[in-house]
Amino acid sequence: MKTKIPYYIAFILLVMVQLYIVFKMVWDQETVLENGKAFKFEAQPIDPNDPFRGKYVSLRFKENQFHSENEEEWHNDQVVYVTLKDSAGYAKIAHVFASPPADEADYLTANIDYITTWKTSTPIIRIEYPFERFYMEEHKAPQAESLYNTAVRDTNQKVYALVYVKEGTAAIQDVFIDEMPLNEWVKQQSEKNNEPE
Amino acid sequence: MSIQKELPELLQAGVITEETAEKIRVYYAQQKRSSNTLTIIFGILGALLTALGIILIVAHNWDELTKSTKTIFAFLPLVIGQLVTGFVLFKHHNQTGWKESATAFLFIAIGASIALVSQVYHLPGSLSSFLFLWMLLGFPLIYIMRSSIASLLFIAGITYYGAYANYFEHWRINDYWYWILFLGVLPHYYRLLKNNPQSNFTYFHNWLIPLSLTIILGSVGDDVAEILTLDYFALFSLFYLIGKIDVFSSQKLITNGYTILGKLGISALLIFTSFDFIWEDMRHSSNSFLDLFNSPETATAAILISLVVVLLILFYRSKNTLILKDYWSFSLPVFALLFMIGFSFPYTAVLVNLMILGLGIFTIQQGIQQNHLGILNYGLLFIAILAVCRFFDSDLSFVLRGSLFVLVGVGFFASNIFLIKKRKQHEN
Repeated sequence: MKTKIPYYIAFILLVMVQLYIVFKMVWDQETVLENGKAFKFEAQPIDPNDPFRGKYVSLRFKENQFHSENEEEWHNDQVVYVTLKDSAGYAKIAHVFASPPADEADYLTANIDYITTWKTSTPIIRIEYPFERFYMEEHKAPQAESLYNTAVRDTNQKVYALVYVKEGTAAIQDVFIDEMPLNEWVKQQSEKNNEPE
Repeated sequence: MSIQKELPELLQAGVITEETAEKIRVYYAQQKRSSNTLTIIFGILGALLTALGIILIVAHNWDELTKSTKTIFAFLPLVIGQLVTGFVLFKHHNQTGWKESATAFLFIAIGASIALVSQVYHLPGSLSSFLFLWMLLGFPLIYIMRSSIASLLFIAGITYYGAYANYFEHWRINDYWYWILFLGVLPHYYRLLKNNPQSNFTYFHNWLIPLSLTIILGSVGDDVAEILTLDYFALFSLFYLIGKIDVFSSQKLITNGYTILGKLGISALLIFTSFDFIWEDMRHSSNSFLDLFNSPETATAAILISLVVVLLILFYRSKNTLILKDYWSFSLPVFALLFMIGFSFPYTAVLVNLMILGLGIFTIQQGIQQNHLGILNYGLLFIAILAVCRFFDSDLSFVLRGSLFVLVGVGFFASNIFLIKKRKQHEN
């Protein structure tokens, strides 16, 4: 019986770690949604699929490039810290840092997708945001994509993701089309399409 | 119910002897044990299917539910899995069926919970980072529960992770985490081999481990792909030798993934390199000697070849003469030599062809000596495939190719008939 006690302790520790990790994932997001600063990121959705987590709409953001002025060495896949500013209602990259900015709370952690120096003297950094997936109900994700594609053809609808940012973490709250949450918009559009003419 | 209850009566009536009665009892006792194995298998399958089903249901993404409901549901599979597994650990730890089923469920439930939270909060992260976190959180179950299903799921998971991360996501960066995680399973595997070399779980490990290594080895580098051929050859030779260690070779061949994969791998690579275009590419390689020498591929080859040499020395010391008389064990040194001269020598492919022929003839001879039709025909098939491959090389004359085929065909007939006759003589 005695020899089993280390296994019991180890198991309880493991249970706590497993719960803690999942709980922390929830907690981190909730904190940012609660206290973070909101930014609107202009986006274009497309829809792929993940074997474990289901269908999602992949978001491409228009504001994803930054002209680097300083001579710091950047490399692909590097972790960077992005500060933001508001420009005509939408988020714009204010600056990109290699280490967390000390005097700023509203920054987010992102990756460098790639760097290009084509046609420029200073390198252009292409940022990969940590909120490029928006999971949706399995039937709605492909619908959202096709409806969106038809919608953009005749009107100039604004699509944006509402993202809260705080001390490096970003939490996506919702994706909007014409100021309407994507879910509702898909529902409304498919109802409209099903109405007899 | 059953004949067991009738045994005393049958004994009394003199229908059966005491000996027969004992045999019947032993027979039914064994039947009972195998039905126990079935319970374990169905328990595990049930747990796995339920848990995987939960993942699929989760993947549907229930947008009618509020975020807080979904978050509570996210913890549900995990907590249920933990409760059941905890209960088994405290109460029924010696019952394999309970232990493995509960652990299997918890292992998958971890993935379900992470997936659901990622979905609710639209967390980023590629498939490989998701698998990585999942495997890390599941890993301790192998040792805490002393669970082989956890170990098998872990190996499968890290293989998925390693393959996805290296072959699909970061095609420029090498991700070495797989190897570190893989080392983590070895103590459990060692314990299995030591304590239960004949259990089904051990057999599954004997297959899954070499398969996983075969899948991931190709990811060690990608700048000097030509060295990968040598890497794989060394890996398959290592498998072949590992399969000859007593703990594996004393069992049925089908449980020995090392020997089967090793032999098939060596054969396939030899056939592959019997074509001259492989060597032609190498002779015209743009990589300098220094590039080749400093590559991770070469380092891998060095490690694997050293392991093969160490095993050969150990076999030599243990006076295991069977291994030392088996030419397949020495195919790596020969191939390594051919490989080195292959960068400049123009007729390496011819030498590889001769090597296949030699190994084929050796295998046929081995089959005849051991009176084993399987081995005999493997040797014949090996030579036959060589002949088929040469059929497509247009620089050999039709007459020569035709004669080669006739020769191989006659060989098939003659040696099989010879062996079967030899057998009949023994029987008489």
